Amino acid sequence: MADTGWPGCAKSLKGVILDLCGVLYDSGEGDGVAISGSVEAVKRLKASDLQLRFCTNETQATREKFVAKLRRLGFDISVSEVFPPAPAAISVLKQRGLRPHLLVHEGLLPEFDGVDKTDPNCVIIGDAAEHFSYQNLNEAFRVLIGLEKPVLFSLGQGRYYKETDGLKLDVGVYMKALEYACDLKAEVIGKPSPTFFQSVLNDMGLKPHQALMIGDDLVNDVGGAQFCGMKGVQVRTGKYRPSDERHPTVIADGTADNLAQAVDVILSQRGH
Amino acid sequence: MAGRRALKAVLIDLSGTLHIEDTAVPGAQDALNRLRQASVAVKFVTNTTKESKRILLERLQRLNFDLQEKDIFTSLSAARSLIEQKQHRPLLLVEDSALEDFTGIETSEPNAVVIGLAPDHFNYQTLNKAFRMILDGAPLIAIHKARYYKRKDGLALGPGPFVTGLEYATDHKATVVGKPEKTFFTQALTDLGCSPSEAVMIGDDARDDVGGAQTAGLLGILVRTGKYREGDENKIEPPPHLTCNSFPDAVEHILQNLL
Repeated sequence: MADTGWPGCAKSLKGVILDLCGVLYDSGEGDGVAISGSVEAVKRLKASDLQLRFCTNETQATREKFVAKLRRLGFDISVSEVFPPAPAAISVLKQRGLRPHLLVHEGLLPEFDGVDKTDPNCVIIGDAAEHFSYQNLNEAFRVLIGLEKPVLFSLGQGRYYKETDGLKLDVGVYMKALEYACDLKAEVIGKPSPTFFQSVLNDMGLKPHQALMIGDDLVNDVGGAQFCGMKGVQVRTGKYRPSDERHPTVIADGTADNLAQAVDVILSQRGH
Repeated sequence: MAGRRALKAVLIDLSGTLHIEDTAVPGAQDALNRLRQASVAVKFVTNTTKESKRILLERLQRLNFDLQEKDIFTSLSAARSLIEQKQHRPLLLVEDSALEDFTGIETSEPNAVVIGLAPDHFNYQTLNKAFRMILDGAPLIAIHKARYYKRKDGLALGPGPFVTGLEYATDHKATVVGKPEKTFFTQALTDLGCSPSEAVMIGDDARDDVGGAQTAGLLGILVRTGKYREGDENKIEPPPHLTCNSFPDAVEHILQNLL
């Protein structure tokens, strides 16, 4: 009988999806720092027969810049393996013939260079950080309230995250603000959206039960992956809090101290 | 309809009901004078986040309305009462023009967040600061939760979206003090010494004025001036006690039928 629990399920896996911030590295000044053992762990996964992808809600830089940073931290990682929300948003825009008004971090703007932004008929918000001023929010609001059928895309829906100088409000807070102002529901692009996880599975050509997600965010990484039919393992790094292990609705299939330990368990189950 | 009540107080909304910007609703001053001659208390109640009572009074007096500062009760007054009652030291996210209504309130080492409409304060740094305070246990008090308001250059975000965002970030509900909250209406009546069932509210906002008042136990009269749009009276349940063309008609109804 197939073992469906953790860690036995690792035997039948065909692919692994890793979150980046809080799993591979901690953000902070400059490039941040690699989490101990994670560079080696990524290398070992790549050398195995498992497919590997990276799924992130990072929206403060283009994919190229972001991957270059990870490479400087020592990770063997290429642009085509990384799935952030912005490229997913661009394909949704194309599919639906939408022209966005952007309220995003300036580092992300080049990602939208080739996108028609004239006479906008939707709004995209990402983690704009300092650019979340009253005036910028008001501009986004006016675009939405002026549309017959307002469409708001949010690149992720996080509440807050931790930086070296303290907790910072994340994009979800401003998404909620615009939702309330315009009496609408935003469409979330990024984790935990099932279509976002599905696009990564499609890229690997795998069914959900053949893949495992490893992340530090219990609700968005683990819960989101489980909702799609994947396994979800939480690592005790990044934004992990002990209370996560007593969460009322989301129960991780497994918990590991860090990525290195999770990879050890997976590979030893597979007889490596 | 319920039988006649002994009406003791009339609450009157300001903007949209007595005046629209710098123009009085036709006949409103005379109607107010007639009401004042009847044996009924009158109070002016409004949701404002940036205008102190003094500023409101000056505008109304310029338009020849007969009233005094003590007759005005605003969402800022309601916030102040709550702060005093709970002995909070608030971080006041309100515009400078509203600060005089908080004169004398201790604000050093703040342990509560009061959020009004303050475009100058609604930036990433200040909201992060408010967020961290709330996460550390500071209560969040909202002057009101309006979605947006009309400015000369178009629509602009009200305090509601920012309150909602902070509620989501912290998983804590704000205490809202302005209309349409029940406590707003009961507080406005407190020093008049009458109960909600002995009072009537006149306003142009079906939900915040009339719906809020009726939920608190007052009668509500909706006027078709200001922000009123066709069919607004059907948007609340139970419907308004009365919908009429303007403030003078509302006063006439009160004098004829409720006293």
